[in-house]
Amino acid sequence: MDGFIHALSAVTSWQILLAAGGGVLWGILGGALPGISPSIAMALLLPFTYDMSPLMALVMLGSVYIGAEYGGSIPAILIRTPGTNAAAATVIDGYVMHQQGRGGEALGLSLTGGTIGGLFGLILLATLTKPLSDLALMFTPPAYFALGLLGLSIIASVSEGSMVKGLIAGVLGLMLATVGTDPLSGVTRFTFGEPELLEGVHFILVMLGVFAVAELMSKLADNEPDDLVKPDTVSKLVLPSLSKLWSLRRAQAIGCAVGALEGPVPGAGGTVASFLSYNEARRWSKTPEQFGKGSEEGVIAPETANNVVTATALVPTLSFGIPGSNSTAILLGGFLIHGLQPGPLLFSTNPDILYGLFGGLFVANIMMFLIGIVILGPAIWLVNRPRPYLNASILALVFSGIYSINNSIFDLWVVLAAGAIGYVLRVLKFPALPLILGLVLGYMIESNYRRSLLLTQGDHAVFFQNGVSAFLMGCAIVVLVLGAYTEFRRFRREATA
Amino acid sequence: MKYRHFLGALVAVSATVSLAAEALADYPHSTVKLVTHSSPGGGTDVFLRKLSQHLGPIMGVNFVVENVRGGGGAKAMAVLANSPADGSIFYGTTPSYVNTSLLSSPEASFTDLDPVVNMFYDPQVVYVRANSPYQDLTDVVEDAKSRPQQVIVAVSTPSSLDRQVMEQFQTVTGTEVTILTHDGGGDVILNVLNGTAQVGIGEIAELRGQIDAGELRLITTYTDERLDLFPDVKTAKEQGIDLVVRKFRGLAGPKGLPEDVVTAWEEGIQKLLADPEFKAWYEGEGVIPAYLDQEGARALTAEFATEMKAFFTEYNIQAE
Repeated sequence: MDGFIHALSAVTSWQILLAAGGGVLWGILGGALPGISPSIAMALLLPFTYDMSPLMALVMLGSVYIGAEYGGSIPAILIRTPGTNAAAATVIDGYVMHQQGRGGEALGLSLTGGTIGGLFGLILLATLTKPLSDLALMFTPPAYFALGLLGLSIIASVSEGSMVKGLIAGVLGLMLATVGTDPLSGVTRFTFGEPELLEGVHFILVMLGVFAVAELMSKLADNEPDDLVKPDTVSKLVLPSLSKLWSLRRAQAIGCAVGALEGPVPGAGGTVASFLSYNEARRWSKTPEQFGKGSEEGVIAPETANNVVTATALVPTLSFGIPGSNSTAILLGGFLIHGLQPGPLLFSTNPDILYGLFGGLFVANIMMFLIGIVILGPAIWLVNRPRPYLNASILALVFSGIYSINNSIFDLWVVLAAGAIGYVLRVLKFPALPLILGLVLGYMIESNYRRSLLLTQGDHAVFFQNGVSAFLMGCAIVVLVLGAYTEFRRFRREATA
Repeated sequence: MKYRHFLGALVAVSATVSLAAEALADYPHSTVKLVTHSSPGGGTDVFLRKLSQHLGPIMGVNFVVENVRGGGGAKAMAVLANSPADGSIFYGTTPSYVNTSLLSSPEASFTDLDPVVNMFYDPQVVYVRANSPYQDLTDVVEDAKSRPQQVIVAVSTPSSLDRQVMEQFQTVTGTEVTILTHDGGGDVILNVLNGTAQVGIGEIAELRGQIDAGELRLITTYTDERLDLFPDVKTAKEQGIDLVVRKFRGLAGPKGLPEDVVTAWEEGIQKLLADPEFKAWYEGEGVIPAYLDQEGARALTAEFATEMKAFFTEYNIQAE
């Protein structure tokens, strides 16, 4: 009850409202710009928060995080370029909807789903912090390994029609993930003496190359008017009606559940959550054949999940003082700069700040919805300008965004190389998403596999003895078998037809 | 009317500016840039910002902190090496700038920079879960002797000081433990909390919340003397394990700094360390004040580099 009062007093202060609104707006813009990740958007703003009151500073940083995780879906839907890592899954159906002239609807779904997810996540955060932090502690190295495998098993369903090609692309991603410093021994691998490669190939660079650059290249190569977009129907944002939302309740529930379970696990994060919920939504859908062809469920499920994560990812940060991602690391920095020590005692020493933060973030989610309604119209207008202008500015946007991350020319070459690979994959009809999944999960799988074996002196039984690990491996096997079965059935159907 | 107010304000501003200019008559620059490779909110960033806040009035200089991220300090070192050696730009040093230089072949390495002063050591500590049977490092040694490789020690990255000290620990004590490397200090804490590892190595700042809450307990410090914050925790030295980690924090500049600039810094930093407000901050952080003048800081850096080089070569971590 005290907590509620703290939250209420926070949201009735104009400074907090300003911080929430300003933070969300900045976040949406940052998230929508390819290359500016949520953590960079937060880092850019951090110095301005030094002189604010602690609560105002934290609400602002948290709001940027929320806004940015949502904002990433805007370019994912409109220009096939995920603005943030977690928006990669939204590309699949979001962009197809846009091509079908339903871009406004897709944006409405992602905005509404994101808001619902964000609010749901906050309620969980405020009421269930303790059990959720126990969940984070259940993840030992074998469990992380199994989680990575479960993520990989999704390849079976995101590469429908060509599972073998999907697997090849996935392996390519896993291979890319081995570049850099060996996670356990520290020996450098495949860096060829290049210091820029010590930290590995950055996931965001490959993603922008494979999606944005490859898309532009194939548009150039097509040489025919590719205006599949029907400008009339997409020129404005279409919010889903309540009955539409009700009809998508299953996908949203899946997004909420996956986000709630995934968020508190440090290192798993929004990307894995959105892919997993996309996959689950497809499996439980009444119309799974629509996925990949402009499914509404395929947009709302991952978007709900990654905004649930914006709240639940705060669990390890607040209850252990351990950031699970770059974004939460900056939020943690915000706490430390103001002399606050997140950890088990924070709830008793600074409840005013903590519940004030929850209150502020609640407002931020609502503001995100309102701001989204205002700015999405112009965003849609923007992408309906003549193609050549749009394509040229996408390239400029992607490159300046990438350059701003590390001020590195080398990164630009990585994007171009990834673009070339992405283009070849497209021409040969290989799906690109498995490559991304392999790259994202490769490091987690490898390091935790080896860590687990180090712990048991090489005994593989640990993966089945550990409860969490066994459960996740079971899920992975189910996903794989079902995927293979569907593939097989379709193959037979095509053969007989 | 409004216009006159504005004029008044303008006069007031220029007056303050000229006052400030007088105070810093002995330092050649009114604005000094402090570069860190740490991202905003990271360890060195927070440290440099606190430093600017308190050192500004002492030296009569306006400090600007700039985050030059990327390449584990490689970019920041390149910026420094290409800047004029006139006292207008400095770099916040930590062991990572030496390590990065040794591990990769950056455009500019730590030898292209010149240490100015050392300020602190971050104490390296050994910790366990609150309910662990270990009371000190001797208990760990005994347990490790009775069951080789069964005691799991969590450390941060493979090229970290955490790992280096535990590899040395095995040699010094003649034991075999399993050293589990991680991606960072946070993961180490989680794996100690959930029982995956029996012992963790880390820094006070990241452990503070858990220690205060009674979830984690310090058993030993790798420092010269016991820490003021934790007077009951023994040092490794006291237990006959001769290991001391000097995780330094200081400042370096481009090579060839004028003598008066170095002197101004040496004096300024000594005053800063005695400043009550700044003292209150760093004591709360649990760092050990360890002022060294330029000669001392140079020697420390060189000695540290030799040690790390030997470690990297022995464990095949080095590039090439």
